[in-house]
Amino acid sequence: MPSPASNWLASARAVFTKDWRCELRSRYALNAIGLFAVTTLVVTSAALGPAGTNSSLAINVLPAMLWLILLFAAAAGLPRSFVHEEESHTAIALRLAAPPSTLFVGKLAFGVSLLLGIEALVAPLYLGVMSLEVASPGLLVIALVAGGYGLAAGSVLIAALASQARGRSTLFSVLAFPVLMPLLLLAIELTRNAVAGDAAGPALPQLLLYDASVTIAGLMLFPAVWNP
Amino acid sequence: MTRTISLGLRGALWLVMSACIWGAFFYAWSDPAFVGQSSRILFFHVPMAWTSFVAFFAAAVWAGRYLWGGRQMRHDRAAATAVECGVLFGVLATITGSLWARIEWGAYWNWDPRQTSIVVVLLFYGAYLALRSAMADREVRARISSVYALIALVVTPFFYFIVPRITESLHPEPVLNAERTLDVDPRMFQVLLASALAYTVLFFWLHNLRARSQALIDALEDDPS
Repeated sequence: MPSPASNWLASARAVFTKDWRCELRSRYALNAIGLFAVTTLVVTSAALGPAGTNSSLAINVLPAMLWLILLFAAAAGLPRSFVHEEESHTAIALRLAAPPSTLFVGKLAFGVSLLLGIEALVAPLYLGVMSLEVASPGLLVIALVAGGYGLAAGSVLIAALASQARGRSTLFSVLAFPVLMPLLLLAIELTRNAVAGDAAGPALPQLLLYDASVTIAGLMLFPAVWNP
Repeated sequence: MTRTISLGLRGALWLVMSACIWGAFFYAWSDPAFVGQSSRILFFHVPMAWTSFVAFFAAAVWAGRYLWGGRQMRHDRAAATAVECGVLFGVLATITGSLWARIEWGAYWNWDPRQTSIVVVLLFYGAYLALRSAMADREVRARISSVYALIALVVTPFFYFIVPRITESLHPEPVLNAERTLDVDPRMFQVLLASALAYTVLFFWLHNLRARSQALIDALEDDPS
């Protein structure tokens, strides 16, 4: 007889693998996020040129641009994770099959892994085309991981809300922007510190606090979103 | 009997608010640290900002009561109405704040952290109202928007406590904090306190009227005869 904890983990893992399997069959989110990120990258790069060589642009503008690209890429792909359950009418089956907390954790793991994968593709490309030298690469990785986690966690929670309403994709951006704003400000600040070679400063613990609070809020509130 | 009491309360509110307006211009002292008489806007701006904070907090409390207190529609109506009132007071606080900023800082808008915070908080509750209008089913609307109102409890503290500390702010220190209360002129403090109290009562009165009319609208939709 498996313990409740291992049952719970197995259920969350099942949601996670199901989402990745669906994703690899249709490649909707991967294509949408990846192409969106590359397109915006090309536009910013064509407009700014190798801006990284100018140190004031490198510190004041480029970190913000990177996070804007990631924000819009996330908004292009992550809401899909709940919307397609509603569109293909699989939400009811999912309500029966998995407890809400495992569903949230499974979807969250899917969103985080997707976004971190996209970051692993976009960030080196961005540094390359912008000729941006990063003084502390370790801090940049921490900023990308902690910021990417919060971006995915906030987006997944908001996507669950938006999928219940009409005009889902428009509504998602309207709902998500104020929720993700503190995260973006903190992640940009941290990235700026990484580029300039400064210490992480208070932005890092605050970013981790944001990640933790969004995760806890998601675990508490998601059952109310999911179950009528 | 209740009619008399309610009439008396409304009369008292009218008297206190009139006294606050008079007191703001003729009784309280104008702080010479600020340009001209511009510090007098404090007696209206601070209570408006405070009331919007009270309204948003009350909305989160009602949303929580809806979700975990038996899913009663009146709690959801109360939460939605509180958000509407909160947005009204928040917009008024933003307008009075930027009028003051024009005189004191030279521009209506300069992305001071306080201004950034209030804009994002108002956008948040604007999104709440947009979310409500995008759902036709009353139960679903109540459930989903209650969750969104509770997410505010996670996000808004970052704007109240963290964003103002990352960037430099020119905004005067909150008057009611521990060490400044001693500095404040007693007459200024009396008018400010009375005004904040009056605005809070005004909010609950507006809220009560609006929630009752919304209850009637809902009842008429259910049973048009």
